[in-house]
Amino acid sequence: MIIVQEADFDGAALARTLREQVGGLAGAIVTFTGHVRDYAPDEPTQTLTLEHYPGMCERELEDIAATARRRWNLAGTVIAHRVGTLHREAQIVFVAAASAHRGDAFRGCEYMIDALKTRAPFWKRETLTSGKQFWVEQRQTDEDRTQSWNNEKTLKETP
Amino acid sequence: MNTTIDLLYFARVAELVGKRSEAWPLAADTTGEHLLAELRARYPRLAQAQRLRLAINQEHAAPAARVQAGDEVAIFEPVTGG
Repeated sequence: MIIVQEADFDGAALARTLREQVGGLAGAIVTFTGHVRDYAPDEPTQTLTLEHYPGMCERELEDIAATARRRWNLAGTVIAHRVGTLHREAQIVFVAAASAHRGDAFRGCEYMIDALKTRAPFWKRETLTSGKQFWVEQRQTDEDRTQSWNNEKTLKETP
Repeated sequence: MNTTIDLLYFARVAELVGKRSEAWPLAADTTGEHLLAELRARYPRLAQAQRLRLAINQEHAAPAARVQAGDEVAIFEPVTGG
């Protein structure tokens, strides 16, 4: 399930829907929720505005989820991402992976959020409480994490 | 015969070029790299964006990728979602 929307999402409801879809196949569901945080401890964020590329965004998210399902034994996945102007502490992104076993669910979930950060066409613009505004730069650590997934051999817990 | 490409600009790139999209004339097939060089010449403010990326027909593309008339080409800085 792929969702890109301005409205807030209910992570518990999304996990429940995934649970119902996969039925008895999934002994494990791992979820990740990302929130708007302060840009820096001494630079509090007022709002974060997310721009996206409609169309390509959904395609990339579908492809990320499909890649995760190929690499690990996943019974189902969810990726939900908000766009528009979000306030400090608001939810931004929700990722869930369901699997028979926890190993595949943990790794599938982590892979999807890492891949999303370097591939999915979203851009963040910060507005700090000081009034300062700027576009966020991609972090090298995000690029490094994606690269490490590319170098890693796929190890399905239950081949 | 279509002799333009549809350029889309996102985030800071849209601010720097002052528009979100335009039809761009294409005399012959080109590459992503060559197109970016032409855009930097046309819009000097793009010098502020050191790392430009492109997507061709809604897929990430390498600088050497071919660009042809009728393509939808998006120009942006590295993505920052999540």
